[in-house]
Amino acid sequence: MLKDIVLDIAYYLDTSSTYQKRKRFFYDILENDKNKYKKFIDIFMIILIFISVAVLIREVKYHVDDFLLFFSNYIVSFFFLVEYLLRLWVNSSVSKIIVKRAEYDSFLLRDVRLSKALKEAFLVKIHYMLSPQAIIDFLAIMPFFHELRVLRIFILFRVFKLFRYAKSIQIITSILATKKFEFLTLAIFAFVVVFISSVLIYVMEANQANSQITSLYKAVYWAIVTISTVGYGDITPVSNEGRFVAILVISSGVAVLAFTTSLFVSAFTEKLDEIKEIKTVEGIAKLKKLYLICGYSDVASTVAKKLSKAGNKIIILDKYESAVSKAIKDGFVALAYDPGSVESYKKININLEKQVKHILCLNEDDVENVYSALTIRSLSKDVEILSLLINDKNRKKLEFAGINKIVYPQELVGLITKELVGVPVAFEVIHELRSEHANVKIDELGITQRIVDNFATVSELDNKNYRIVLLGIYKTSKERFYFNPLDDTILEVGDYLLVVGYSMFIREFEKYLHTKVRSE
Amino acid sequence: MSKRTALIFGHNKYAHEIISNVKKTYSNIRIFALEDVDDDSPYEVEKFDLSDDWKGIGEDINIEESIAFCVLQDMAENIFLTISLRSNFADLAIIAVALNRESANKLSMAGANKVIPLVETTADIITNILEKPISSKILSNILYEESSLKIAQIKIDTESKLDNHKLVSIDWTRYHGVIILSLIHEDMKSEFIYSKKMKEYVIQSGDILVVVGYENDITEFEKIIGSKRYVNWSHWRG
Repeated sequence: MLKDIVLDIAYYLDTSSTYQKRKRFFYDILENDKNKYKKFIDIFMIILIFISVAVLIREVKYHVDDFLLFFSNYIVSFFFLVEYLLRLWVNSSVSKIIVKRAEYDSFLLRDVRLSKALKEAFLVKIHYMLSPQAIIDFLAIMPFFHELRVLRIFILFRVFKLFRYAKSIQIITSILATKKFEFLTLAIFAFVVVFISSVLIYVMEANQANSQITSLYKAVYWAIVTISTVGYGDITPVSNEGRFVAILVISSGVAVLAFTTSLFVSAFTEKLDEIKEIKTVEGIAKLKKLYLICGYSDVASTVAKKLSKAGNKIIILDKYESAVSKAIKDGFVALAYDPGSVESYKKININLEKQVKHILCLNEDDVENVYSALTIRSLSKDVEILSLLINDKNRKKLEFAGINKIVYPQELVGLITKELVGVPVAFEVIHELRSEHANVKIDELGITQRIVDNFATVSELDNKNYRIVLLGIYKTSKERFYFNPLDDTILEVGDYLLVVGYSMFIREFEKYLHTKVRSE
Repeated sequence: MSKRTALIFGHNKYAHEIISNVKKTYSNIRIFALEDVDDDSPYEVEKFDLSDDWKGIGEDINIEESIAFCVLQDMAENIFLTISLRSNFADLAIIAVALNRESANKLSMAGANKVIPLVETTADIITNILEKPISSKILSNILYEESSLKIAQIKIDTESKLDNHKLVSIDWTRYHGVIILSLIHEDMKSEFIYSKKMKEYVIQSGDILVVVGYENDITEFEKIIGSKRYVNWSHWRG
């Protein structure tokens, strides 16, 4: 009977979208770094930690306001308790474990062994509770029982909680963890030296008349102060034998210190690239409307510079380290990931449809470009892809790979020469309009609701006063360009005005279009 | 046509694209290659050497009416070829393809009248497609004649109705269905129609108008103002 109720509840919870949605929400704000609210929770917790530590310090010598004490001991602890319970809840799913066991047993046509499922669930929760971070979380709640004065010191465990919230501390810990074996060896060596030298110095000095080393505890204290090369000098050996021990400890101390320093340095040096990569990937996750360039060729480098100058965000992927370091030198965010591998996009954790404006396959090799394009298409059907075409014979393959726009440099040369020999002056005028360095530019101004409210037709635009040539209107609804539109052409939201003029005047004109208020 | 012969140096993809685009304008096309070319090539290719003194060419064709395209793949060879052509033929119009800005500068120094920097041009096109897709499409259509919209240069002569007219007195934006983009003086400097210099400017014979419009409208415009379309190369000289 009870078993049935438990199973029903487990199935209900496992299939209830509301419950799963809530659980997901709490998981995200506590554990998912990409959640936009998580950082606020983290900052809030960090503030609570500092408040309680500040109260603890103040309390040592001065009277602390009762409310502050109450806040530190109960309110902060309450927040930490709630956080602890939430983490315990979202860390694993008991209902899922029960449902899984029930399905498994039913499949084998036997009675559902609920006790096994509960045991498994219990073990999973205990495993979490015994993890270092969960223990710290638990100890940080202890000041709740602040009547037990000894538990007050547990406030300091709250400081350890910073490990959870500050990413950089986590990174340092993970870096040092890579040298676990070396640090352990060093610690054993230091322990052996401290142990032998403290016993030795105790044996040599304890019975000397002027010696301050009268107990083993003092001997250990002296050995640690000496081996660490701190050497306060409050306790010093007085016998020759004692001084000989000191010489040995000091020599070992230098070795220990040098070894420790080199361990830190080598750990960080080895992981430096990895840390940079982690930071880069984290940065990418926050970007929106970015251009993703696959392959850092000469064309890619120039395109990236031009797009970046226009204020766009750019990410470069290239499988060759040399190309990536060149891109980084040029000031771009670049990663040595193969653009033709699905794994690369998973690693950078990018949402191609939401974050990427356009993908540019700019390798100087059609095979690479087709491969990258196909990989991207397998991840997203809608993202826009532009690619260079190096050999015209491969055009169809590029089209088949789902590339939306193909740029064939050789063809451009042909077309340019045709214009150069046909209308050389006009060609230069157009070329000049397209150039980013020119004063006179061609630009497209989007028609918004506000503009439509103030300017009903082309005749009202007053572009001539702004010394601007209105080349035409692109009607998005009809996907058609109307050259030199008639005065009574109606402006609609979504249309684009194609204007030619000095950049300064174009900006002024645009401002005027957006700010003018129709006088009735 | 003022340029009768097209000399194309290099037998590669660029050369083929250039040939297919200029063969309507130039009835006489001569292709030169540094190395032997397979027999299955659709064009008759002459072999040349960088140490050639080009005397033969000078005798065969009228240099002043010819145009040369230097499209060798190796930039050092392309620059050497350009220098060699320029030193022999001061009046030959030379268009050269460069890989990047650096070789473009060298080719200009070597005497090329016009240089197409490949990387920059391709990057420009890509950036325009991405950032200004509409204007990029319209300009390409106009330039590469993919639509009925055309760009033309019209020379004002003494018989033109616009001769001696003040520029600002004419409503250019609404003139006979065409749009005037700029005006080129006799000194061959292009000025945007709304530039400060143009405010008080009086049109003189010899000026060239760069206009955009549909073919019929441009023809109509030519008739009304009494001027003709004109291909001018002189600004490339010197």
